[in-house]
Amino acid sequence: MNGSNVRIGELDLANPVLTASGCFGYGLEYDEFFDVATLGGICTKGLSLEPRLGNPPERICETPAGMLNAIGLANVGVENFCTVKLPTLRERGVTVVANIFASSVADFVKITERLEAEDGVHAIELNVSCPNVTVGGIEFGKDPKLASEVTRAVRQSTKRPVWVKMSPEAGDILAVGRACEEAGADALTAINTIRGMSIDINTRRLRLVALRIVWDLCGAVSIPVIAIGGIATWQHALEFIMAGASAVQVGTASFSDPCAAKHVMDGIAAFCSQNETTVADLIGAARSS
Amino acid sequence: MEHTAPMAARRMITAPLLHRESIGASYHVLTFDVPEGSDAQPGQFAMVRGAEWGDAPLLPRPMSYLTGGTTPSILIKVIGEGTLRMGRAEPGEPFTLLGPLGNTWRPPSRNRRPVLVAGGVGIAPLLYFAKQIAADGATPLSIYGGRSSRDLPLEDELSEISETHLTTEDGSRGTRGRVTDVLESLLDAGSEVYTCGPDRMMAAVAAICAKRDVPCQVSLETPMACGYGVCLGCPVPTTDGGYLYACMNGPCIDARLVDFSRSDHAPRKVATTAGGAK
Ligand SMILES: Cc1cc2nc3c(=O)[nH]c(=O)nc-3n(C[C@H](O)[C@H](O)[C@H](O)COP(=O)(O)OP(=O)(O)OC[C@H]3O[C@@H](n4cnc5c(N)ncnc54)[C@H](O)[C@@H]3O)c2cc1C
Ligand SMILES: Cc1cc2nc3c(=O)[nH]c(=O)nc-3n(C[C@H](O)[C@H](O)[C@H](O)COP(=O)(O)O)c2cc1C
Ligand code: FES
Repeated sequence: MNGSNVRIGELDLANPVLTASGCFGYGLEYDEFFDVATLGGICTKGLSLEPRLGNPPERICETPAGMLNAIGLANVGVENFCTVKLPTLRERGVTVVANIFASSVADFVKITERLEAEDGVHAIELNVSCPNVTVGGIEFGKDPKLASEVTRAVRQSTKRPVWVKMSPEAGDILAVGRACEEAGADALTAINTIRGMSIDINTRRLRLVALRIVWDLCGAVSIPVIAIGGIATWQHALEFIMAGASAVQVGTASFSDPCAAKHVMDGIAAFCSQNETTVADLIGAARSS
Repeated sequence: MEHTAPMAARRMITAPLLHRESIGASYHVLTFDVPEGSDAQPGQFAMVRGAEWGDAPLLPRPMSYLTGGTTPSILIKVIGEGTLRMGRAEPGEPFTLLGPLGNTWRPPSRNRRPVLVAGGVGIAPLLYFAKQIAADGATPLSIYGGRSSRDLPLEDELSEISETHLTTEDGSRGTRGRVTDVLESLLDAGSEVYTCGPDRMMAAVAAICAKRDVPCQVSLETPMACGYGVCLGCPVPTTDGGYLYACMNGPCIDARLVDFSRSDHAPRKVATTAGGAK
């Protein structure tokens, strides 16, 4: 796709549209809908060291405020991912971002080392919106020191780009972002869902919160920022890109339309060709004026 | 899973409502215009949403196919915002249909008689199935129950093609009582049971079948966000202590795999996690 390609640190993406973790399975569920290799990339369901069954029912519920979910980070575990899911993704040429989570720095490192043994993983995204059990259950992502510690440890165990997914719960999200940059993160993704009592709330307002955070982060760090939060159309995606995001992730929009990310991708390409511009030129366009 | 049928290609289409037929105040049959046709088989479902609903409700709603082909239809019971909007839809209104999703009913074994046990709106996937069985030249036995005569939508269509026993809890139609009362007396060693309805009803039906060693399939009902295996929002507890996912491993599934004692789909508080976000 001409004019759509973007660079996230060392990583070249065919276009700026990825799918968000937990909203796209392992990318293998889309055969009948579209070729996921055409996307900028997919972020896998969060992977842990051991498989996790997840929470008992009910896990989802829709309220006038948005979608509540309590999936419980159910996933097949990093080993099964490497031996069962990844070979197919690799064969199809999909750009894979492995989203990982753990409750200790040591486990984050173990997962990273397991992934390091495999070809076909293009970046690692740290879900730091989970409690660190070794320091009394404080979320990694809420504290600049904890976030930087986990980022540095993962950074040292892989040659691949490391992205850190910002938690909107952080008191000083800019401090957390800067700490991760300093610890060697190649990019920041923002934001994870907002949580209330271990229930994630995808409110309709999430996009506005995310837009503000992305704007501020882009001003605070010099590494690329990848935007997530309520992006359902190419217009939403361009708002974030013009605010400074280098790429976007489509989350819950894929639930109601499996082709949502494709529509966003195609819409951006059409916009660029109609306006004889490139995505690279649009990044941060709203900032310079 | 054991009887996952070969799946027809899943597609997301936008189709106009052809007509809406109301059955009393709470039930409606919505028929859509899909010239290219749908491969939906009995037991499968679609994720249905008004194309012009805007932001709310956000998610599509799972609905069993009542018929397939070029005029696929669904039977809805109004229970909340989504079904309320469906129940008010006028011809021409566009809907998105993502389907066919999930597996089909496993066909009855040659030497067994299919016994269909439906509760209320659970009739939808079973009426479609009964039509298929009848088209193959057999006559299924059906037990169809509801709270009152108002909760037996499409009972006449069912009676036309099957040997049908009706039950109501208030006695306003058919036998007073529950479907399970009638099932106890009609079931024999050569039966093969198919059931769809409230969880508690399916659990009771499954227990009777297990006791009599009769095969039983249930159609699982849980809230769903995606319907095609990516959100992991539709777990159903299994007897081995794990979970099945209703949209991928079901909705039609061998009742022996399901642990009904742990599957409570009544609205309740969402469980809290020790493991953090999602
Ligand atoms: C495979 C499958 C097939 C289905 N087929 C049909 C069908 O043919 N006809 C039909 O009328 N309904 C069917 N349902 C149920 C239907 O999807 C729900 O009734 C619908 O989603 C409710 O939407 P709503 O916006 O009206 O209600 P909401 O406002 O979302 O919910 C109202 C109340 O019902 C509860 N609820 C929501 N969804 C479900 C559910 N799936 N099971 C149990 N309780 C629920 C909620 O917790 C809430 O308390 C099916 C469900 C599944 C999983
Ligand atoms: C059902 C569900 C599961 C999710 N699972 C994960 C996960 O495993 N790891 C993660 O980092 N984020 C997870 N997320 C968060 C999303 O990736 C995304 O950050 C969030 O949904 C906001 O984007 P959206 O508004 O576009 O959905 C999940 C979200 C949902 C709704
Ligand atoms: S409804 Fe999403 S996984 Fe079943």
